[in-house]
Amino acid sequence: MDEKLRGKLVDVLGKRLNRQLLYYLDICARCSICKDACHQYTTTKDVQYLPAHRAELLRRVYKTYFGWASKLVPALYEGKQIDDDFLDELYKATYSCTGCRRCMVYCPYGIDTTQILAVAKEILLAAGKGPELLAMLADVAIEKGENIDLFKEAIIATLQETEKELQEKVGDPKASIPIDKEGADILYVALAGTHTIIPAAIVFHLAGVDWTLSMFEAANYGYFLGDVAKAKAIAQRIVDEAKRLHVKGVVLAECGHAYRVMKVLQEVWAQEKYPFEVSSILQVVARYVEEGRIKVDPSRIQGSVTYHDPCQIGRNGGIFEEPRNVLRHICSDFREMTPNRERNWCCGGGGGLVAQPDLEEFRMRTGERKAHQIRQTEAEIVVSPCENCRLQIEGLNERYGLGVRVSSLMDVLVQALGPVVTPVSDLVPVEVG
Amino acid sequence: MDWFSYLVAGVMVYVAVVVFVLGMAYRFYQWAKVPKTSVRLAVFPKPANRAAKWFVAVKNALIFPQVIEVDPKMWLFSMLFHLGLLGAFVGHLRLLHEFTPLVGALGSEGMERLSFWGGSTMGIVLSVAVVYLLVRRMKSPYKDVSVPEDYILLLLILAVVTMGNHLRFFGDVPTADYRAYLQSLLAFKPAFPAALAASSIKSALVLHVFLANLLLIYFPFGKLVHVVGTFATNLVRSD
Repeated sequence: MDEKLRGKLVDVLGKRLNRQLLYYLDICARCSICKDACHQYTTTKDVQYLPAHRAELLRRVYKTYFGWASKLVPALYEGKQIDDDFLDELYKATYSCTGCRRCMVYCPYGIDTTQILAVAKEILLAAGKGPELLAMLADVAIEKGENIDLFKEAIIATLQETEKELQEKVGDPKASIPIDKEGADILYVALAGTHTIIPAAIVFHLAGVDWTLSMFEAANYGYFLGDVAKAKAIAQRIVDEAKRLHVKGVVLAECGHAYRVMKVLQEVWAQEKYPFEVSSILQVVARYVEEGRIKVDPSRIQGSVTYHDPCQIGRNGGIFEEPRNVLRHICSDFREMTPNRERNWCCGGGGGLVAQPDLEEFRMRTGERKAHQIRQTEAEIVVSPCENCRLQIEGLNERYGLGVRVSSLMDVLVQALGPVVTPVSDLVPVEVG
Repeated sequence: MDWFSYLVAGVMVYVAVVVFVLGMAYRFYQWAKVPKTSVRLAVFPKPANRAAKWFVAVKNALIFPQVIEVDPKMWLFSMLFHLGLLGAFVGHLRLLHEFTPLVGALGSEGMERLSFWGGSTMGIVLSVAVVYLLVRRMKSPYKDVSVPEDYILLLLILAVVTMGNHLRFFGDVPTADYRAYLQSLLAFKPAFPAALAASSIKSALVLHVFLANLLLIYFPFGKLVHVVGTFATNLVRSD
């Protein structure tokens, strides 16, 4: 590696050293209590996945270049130079992490390993070593934002089909999927495909909500990539759309990272205050159910149900009770996983891992904790309001022979809406009793 | 006081205190001069209000109860280790100034007994805990995560504690003489009282002070700053 690039990479690190990061880099005692918190370390026993070790890689570089005492005797800290071997090791430790932040819960100091890995990602990207697939997916999303007029016709054409499907389901030819509607109360941001559009459209129709569908997908590959500029541009498409339409609130489909990006990160990245509320569809439907705005018939969901807290929705997003409240209304046998809520085990598919085919075997292996947890509940249906989690749990279901049905919350909710709606789940067929 | 004792148990003590104070000030300055990220790094559920946030942060920093769930053995030894250090630290304060109210309550003989049993217990607990931490670190995966600093600090603490134990169990110097030495330090006229200077454990004391000086000098420059940093990061956890 030439000195110029090395200097540039050290610069990337230096520019990112905010106060919290300095704390994290300075105080870790390497007690490695985090090892038992990480699903990847506990299932592989491979030290490169031990959270403290992942962070230590960057810390060793930090010690070499920053702080006069450690620069004096870098050997005390096994100080490392940035070179190609280091970057390869860093890549493995960084892009394998699902970013679940379970280690942060158990760390006596509360060190946020993902913050350290975020800097590692920026260094890797600056060295041209980011995962190409994630970068490509991010670029496609940004391009769509820049040329939305070219896409609009096609979106509207597709939606006509989806709208017909909706009208059949609810038995009302006037039911619609509005798009680009100014002054609507809600801008609903779905995922790619129609499986998160139809259930939401049914609920909005039955609850008489004034809503409009976003032309963009919620998913943000820029965030997984760790490229803040790209992540920001992708999220900004939705912010701009919401501002243009003067909606009161942006509601995100069942997607973990999209919720965290919009709720927690984007406002800080863009340094602006949203003129609208951001919520998850989970919070919205929980309110409708509680208020009786939509009528549910619990007898329609047969079988025991358990709930998987997606890391970005629960621990990192703060939504624990709303989906549980909905489930308690619509099913008679609800079971908690152990542990749950902020202590829940990561499914193993987060952080963009699901989108990277070369990590599939690793995902399945490190999902063993989740598989075990699901099996222990002896539940028949696993509900999880995150697409990544669902795809991963589907995989685990097959790999570990769990024999469960995996569903989004909206799909089970729609089934509990009574005879007016026929089942819609095209992601996973759920039996109706 | 011979010249070597004067250098180590006198001059070097001042140097160590100055380096510690300036070093910590420098560390705080380094932390303070860079801005905080405005990204909220909390894990949920967050404490309901400011008071609860501080309560939770202090509780986590002092007791870290969540560790009991995943590594109860480490939690126990970590507690013994830190409480041992705290106990030893508090015990030494008696050498700066006698705990007069306690003497009033226990009588001077009772106080000596408390000091002997308390100090002995802390010394033994600390030794056992340090050895546990050291042995733990010599095994995988802890070994693979550790850097020389980790071992050096544990060995240094073990050495300080061992010399301290030596003074307690093999020493014949009365408390009053140690107090006289520390008073002389405070008066900037470091000197050993005659009995101490003539005692067989004088060199052990000098070594004990030397190692403690090293620990104090190193403190601001390595991971020991977790002692203060943990309060900050535990607050970030609820930001």
